[in-house]
Amino acid sequence: MATEVVLPALGLTVEKGKILEWYKKEGDPVQKGEPIFLVEADKVTTDVESPSSGVLSKILIPVGVEVPILTVVAIITEPGEKLAAKWMVEGPAFSTAETSAEPPVSPGERPRAKTGVPGDRGIVPAARRKAKEYGVDLSQISGTGPDGVILLKDVERVLAAESKISVVKASTLARKLCEKEEVPLKEILGTGIRGRIMQADVKAYLEGPTATAAGPPLGSTMPMSTIRRVIARRMSESAFNAPHIYFFSEVWLDPLLQFREEVLPVFDKHFNLRPSINDFLIKAVALNIADFPMLNAQLKGEEIHIMPEINIGLAVAMPEGLIVPAIPCADRAGLVEIIRHRADLVARAKEGKLTLQEIERGTFTISSLAQYDITHFTAILNPPQSGILSVGKTDEKLVLVEGQVRVKRITRVGLSVDHRIIDGTTAADFLQHLKWKLEHPAFTFMSL
Amino acid sequence: MREITLREALNEALKQNLQRDERVFIMGEDVGCFGGIFQVTAGLMEEFGPDRVIDTPISESAIVGGGIGAALNGMRPIVELMNIDFTLVCMDQIANQAAKMRYMFGGQMNIPLVIRTPSGAGRGAAAHHSQSLHALFMHIPGLKIAAPSNPHDAKGLLNTAVSDENPVLFIEDKMLYNMKGPVPEEYYTIPFGQASIRREGRDITIVATFRMVNKALSVAQELLSKGINIEVIDPRTLCPLDKETILASVRKTGKLITVDEGTRCNGFGSEIAAIVAEEAIECLQAPVIRVSAPMTPVPYGPTLEKFYIPSEENIKEAVSRLMGYG
Repeated sequence: MATEVVLPALGLTVEKGKILEWYKKEGDPVQKGEPIFLVEADKVTTDVESPSSGVLSKILIPVGVEVPILTVVAIITEPGEKLAAKWMVEGPAFSTAETSAEPPVSPGERPRAKTGVPGDRGIVPAARRKAKEYGVDLSQISGTGPDGVILLKDVERVLAAESKISVVKASTLARKLCEKEEVPLKEILGTGIRGRIMQADVKAYLEGPTATAAGPPLGSTMPMSTIRRVIARRMSESAFNAPHIYFFSEVWLDPLLQFREEVLPVFDKHFNLRPSINDFLIKAVALNIADFPMLNAQLKGEEIHIMPEINIGLAVAMPEGLIVPAIPCADRAGLVEIIRHRADLVARAKEGKLTLQEIERGTFTISSLAQYDITHFTAILNPPQSGILSVGKTDEKLVLVEGQVRVKRITRVGLSVDHRIIDGTTAADFLQHLKWKLEHPAFTFMSL
Repeated sequence: MREITLREALNEALKQNLQRDERVFIMGEDVGCFGGIFQVTAGLMEEFGPDRVIDTPISESAIVGGGIGAALNGMRPIVELMNIDFTLVCMDQIANQAAKMRYMFGGQMNIPLVIRTPSGAGRGAAAHHSQSLHALFMHIPGLKIAAPSNPHDAKGLLNTAVSDENPVLFIEDKMLYNMKGPVPEEYYTIPFGQASIRREGRDITIVATFRMVNKALSVAQELLSKGINIEVIDPRTLCPLDKETILASVRKTGKLITVDEGTRCNGFGSEIAAIVAEEAIECLQAPVIRVSAPMTPVPYGPTLEKFYIPSEENIKEAVSRLMGYG
């Protein structure tokens, strides 16, 4: 029986290799374990041994051509065995590196032309860009445009579906236990194959937070989810493309906390709403951006675009990853509107029911870890935005006020900006004015 | 604000320029005694005399050539060619002399010449008096091209044209002369190279010229009831062309229709499509559609002429095709 000789996987990171020399000619007998060709990959040369004994009937990849690993490069047949017809076809005359200035054709890639996307022309450019940006596999999408053309909305539909993890996979036992204990399945982190929820996961969930926080077992390997892939790509793009600078300031929070206490009953009575410190923060940040429009900027090529709307994103942590829905036009929205919007967006974020537009419209992000015992932290910009505010815990500090020791509640806020377009003085000015706004709530929220 | 016709707006602009600057004069076939073939210069000879409003022989080359000479010698001539079809008779004067002279002499002189000329079909004037040739001139460096779609823009753009130090081809859609609209009485200018977003929308961008702007607006209004929100952009000058406004709109809507009365091949729409393909293709959510005249001479028979001119129905068909792309 004929044996296919493949270009072996030469290392974890090696994707392609180039044969430098064939030690045997077509028709030569070969022994299993005998070196038959020399390959170069990542500047390292390696002898490759014959996988079986027989006759080297056909060399498919000549010297000098770079091919992906696992490409069939030759066929070994048993003595007297005829070469199968499919290998008899004379392949295209591969241009070799020595004779052609053009990059060599990679024959191994040819059959997979255009990665199997159905009718490659049937994708509108905007859809193609979005799919590339979010790593969506176009071959898995059916287009709804004329003649099945894939439209932007088709890609967006897939993204929206992926972000909400529409299908919760769970074992029958796990489902039964959930029904019995009245626990919503989607709140449970599955540890089975492809995130399938097992009975043990439900039990762990019921036992309390320490069990769920334990995370995956040591030594396990997991594929990245789509949302994790997107986060990974966007965060590295931001961290490595946008030079970040960080600024920290301490905000005296007593006036705002007191202000909130005072308005709570009013909001409760008239609107049946409870403003959180985050709501005031969103409003104050938006008003401050109106004073410093550079913090609403986005760098696009060689141009700085000051975005027309001030949409404040609020980072919401979910088991599968961070998501940042944005409150639109927060500078102009009243506090009631902000509270309603924020509550709705956070709730839907947790249910995985946000639209892509609600996530993409943000022009500035607030990320709060106030409920943790974290004094302050640096945040990575949410691209293409140019500013992100990080909020740490609030604690009591002793301070001297006119010679008297007083207790003040202090919270630490951090600002990261894109130094390509925002300089330190602008960022410092912004943060200082924000601090003033938060410390003088009566002025800041006068018109609410 | 009072409403006047586009013809009256142009007449007022010419009058104000004759009053403001004694170097300004008008020259062309039948512009004086007769008041111009479309009556744009009516009454000006009576008011300003035969030295400043000059009737010429039927010789387009002499009219434009005389204008160039006068402009070189410090005057600010406004010449009229009776139909844009006749620019082809004096193409050498326009394209080889007026457009190139300042460049070839290293900027030693200016040519503040305005060539006014009516364009377009719709009056049963047949193939020699009905063409829309503006795209031809977009191909020639050194010419500015004004393309007003309403009385207000007509007056403001004509004032800018007269004050410009370089040759301007001022094209008037002859089917718009009777269009009425609000026009300020005082002198005002509209800068060249600034498109006007005549209607904001989020679904489709229509870039239209001359009276096609008004057809696009009417279609946009009608289709609003079907929930289709069309943005209509009027470039107002074809050169310089405000491509930023067009690109920004296409980046927003992802869909582009151009509507222009010129013939299809290498037309105004082709240039807009090319700009979008070069600079914003990743934003396109659908093919670009050019609504234009077919590649044929303008027919004389009324039925065929009507068929020839891009209609609101043609625009609606284009919109409906694009709406198939979501």
